[in-house]
Amino acid sequence: MPKSKKFNFSRWWTKLNVKYSIGLSLILVVVTTVIYFVIQPNILRPGQLNRLLTSNFRTWLPVILVTIGQAIVLLGGGLDLSNGAIVSVGNVILALTVVSPDEPGKNLLMILAVIGFGLFAGFVNGFFAAYLGLQPVIITFATSFVYSGFALLLLPTPGGAIPREYTSIYRNTNLIGFPITLIVIALVLLIWTFFRNRRYGRFLYAVGGDPSAAYTTGVPVTWMKISTYIISGLLASLAAIAYSLLTGSGLSSSGDDMTLASITGAVLGGISMSGGAGSVVGSVFGGIILGNIRNIISALRLNSWWRTLVNALVIVIALAGPGLFNLIRRKK
Amino acid sequence: MKLICLKTEHIKKRFGGVHALRDGSIEIRSGKVLALVGSNGSGKSTLTKIITGVLSPDDGQITYKGNQVQYSNPMAAQKAGIMAVYQELSLVPSLTVAQNIWLANESFKKSGFVDDQDMIEKTQELLKLFEGTFQSSLHPEAYVRSLPPDERQIVEILKAINRDPDVLILDEATASLDSEQVKRLFNLVRKLRDEGKGLVFVSHRMDEIFQIADQAVVLRNGKTVGNVLIAESSEREIVYMMVGSEAEIVREPLYHNRQDQRDLVLVTENIKNEKLAGVSFSVKQSELVGIGGLRGQGQSTLLHTLFGNDAYEGHISIFGKSIDFKHPKDAMQENVALIPGDRASEGLLLLRSILENLHLPNWKSYGRPLLKIKKARNDAMKVSNQLNLVMASLDSPVSSLSGGNAQKVVIGKWLLRNPKLLLLDDPTKGVDVGTKSEFYRLLNQLIESGTTILFYSSDDQELLGLCPRIMVMHDGKIEADLAGNMLTEANLVAASMGASSNSQNLKEVNHAQV
Repeated sequence: MPKSKKFNFSRWWTKLNVKYSIGLSLILVVVTTVIYFVIQPNILRPGQLNRLLTSNFRTWLPVILVTIGQAIVLLGGGLDLSNGAIVSVGNVILALTVVSPDEPGKNLLMILAVIGFGLFAGFVNGFFAAYLGLQPVIITFATSFVYSGFALLLLPTPGGAIPREYTSIYRNTNLIGFPITLIVIALVLLIWTFFRNRRYGRFLYAVGGDPSAAYTTGVPVTWMKISTYIISGLLASLAAIAYSLLTGSGLSSSGDDMTLASITGAVLGGISMSGGAGSVVGSVFGGIILGNIRNIISALRLNSWWRTLVNALVIVIALAGPGLFNLIRRKK
Repeated sequence: MKLICLKTEHIKKRFGGVHALRDGSIEIRSGKVLALVGSNGSGKSTLTKIITGVLSPDDGQITYKGNQVQYSNPMAAQKAGIMAVYQELSLVPSLTVAQNIWLANESFKKSGFVDDQDMIEKTQELLKLFEGTFQSSLHPEAYVRSLPPDERQIVEILKAINRDPDVLILDEATASLDSEQVKRLFNLVRKLRDEGKGLVFVSHRMDEIFQIADQAVVLRNGKTVGNVLIAESSEREIVYMMVGSEAEIVREPLYHNRQDQRDLVLVTENIKNEKLAGVSFSVKQSELVGIGGLRGQGQSTLLHTLFGNDAYEGHISIFGKSIDFKHPKDAMQENVALIPGDRASEGLLLLRSILENLHLPNWKSYGRPLLKIKKARNDAMKVSNQLNLVMASLDSPVSSLSGGNAQKVVIGKWLLRNPKLLLLDDPTKGVDVGTKSEFYRLLNQLIESGTTILFYSSDDQELLGLCPRIMVMHDGKIEADLAGNMLTEANLVAASMGASSNSQNLKEVNHAQV
């Protein structure tokens, strides 16, 4: 097929929106980043950009990881309200057990245990939501209390200390000129793209788009749905590792804010709440937009009341936006 | 006789208390087209779904290629080579045409990645089978959600054919196709037949059955009642089998008075929308007009359109006044009431009390200055007595009532408003016989007190027993308007099937009568 060599912007833009639905989130990423840079006084100083990237992405990585997981669950037509609680459990386990750099074997084992817990918790969610067909909203909300309760049981008061040797790797490493956190995101996206372009990706979008049509066509709908919750659990456990390395300590409520942030991020990134539409790359953009907005608010030195209000408004607008948009279109 | 490829014997299937299938027995032969015929609720769709593994049978056996089989899901049946083109489509709207056609059947590159380019090219090839019968909006990369019904149906057909099945079931696949598209489909069907595939053609269009099928199996009330060679049969014989020999029932239409000085209550001219293709009729005061035909021919849509639920083009006037209802509340103001078919989702608040449900549309008249709950209770009691409602008390929740009694509540809440034009959307579905007869008595009372009723029912017997006039709908149009001598079961069934040979006469006769 002969392709026109000239870059056709409007076609490219349409494709971005129709096929990947990330046009809007791309704009928001650019706009929020520009605003953030403008209100940063020292942006043009040499090395400042890299410093900003490093400090921002190490803060954002946990939320971005759970957002990716949430996006995949949403794509399959589900919802995971327990991912934040899984982060809390993982964080608490690490803070309690990874205390000395002299026991690399034990530390590695505990990291694997955290990942194992994430997979298991995700499977439990998937089993109830997909195999037994219970309402995902209710069931993952319920399991979130079980997981949070578990975290609180392990660590009733904030504490624990992860060795500096580990946290500094996370906080300050640069590989080939990029902060390690950015490389982690790129890797996760790469792995996702691998599955996205295999049968798994096709099935996922079909299941989210119309589960009964997918079933009649021969797609293993139940297994696909369970797998999305397992992936979300896995990414939540990775987020727990990142969060622990970021803060260096344990807090039984550490993931509480991440659940809603993950949904908002995914929706800002163009993922449809009703399933089957959007792209995982978009959800990363969504996470970045949320991070930028937080930074802007704090750079404006508003008092904390304002900060909470604006954060909440962004969430409401992001979630209500698609519905409002449709309503306006229908009225016309 | 060609080889028997797939055989079902004495298949039974129940949904709750309803026997969808009592004895479904068919033989599908390789290299032959088998027509599966039956009226509403005769079990055609249930039987096809059992063969394709979407439903599992309660009893009976399926023999496929000489082995007894039992598929617990569609995947297994597809692997074995059994595919169906479904009536309610199995396409994912948010995927593209190519993605849908190749879903769960993707082609892969050597690396294991999905080979989109290859699938798009092959889809292009497949679409050539229907070339010229669709618009340019149908291409491999178009999203299915943006396609009109006929193009979706084409995609659905191509999707099934692409899997190269040994047994292909076409369940009402022609319902949304135009004649040229049907012709292409039949060419395909003939080609597959000549390749030795077993084909099942489920349709309610008699002319198509006689064009394409070699053999016909007739289902009635979930039982296989006939098996004929098309070449040796006639439309008449098949219709007769569908209706059954016990069909000669004694009818006592409710209101015989047809000398017509009465006012026109409802006049429609050429109403059109997504499901309706130009509907014109008029109804006089105190008339009970039945609406018949196979399910999904636009009957419900017609009633909902009259009530202001669906948008339309055309002209409607009620009580001599030209109207344009934008919202059900406009219709309510004109004393029009709609009793919906799906009680649970459209007509009732299941967890609330009977009293609340009965008064839901009526609280306004009890509201000033304070809620006159006593008067409301008294009125509700009167209505429930009139309806013979069997209940513990007015305060028990509607969910505690039986299906029939729950339906009475739906009717009762509109009776309290004294409607002048009552639209009934299959109100007796799933209602027991005793309640039905009470319901008929109630209709009688309403007619006598001057209410005009439009009554859609999927039960032909019920229509024939109740209505002095029946409009039969087919493909969004009124295929026949039957009354007087023309109102026979055979005519009703024939018109439902769109058997065009005599429906033209029917219309003429009827116009002469009015």
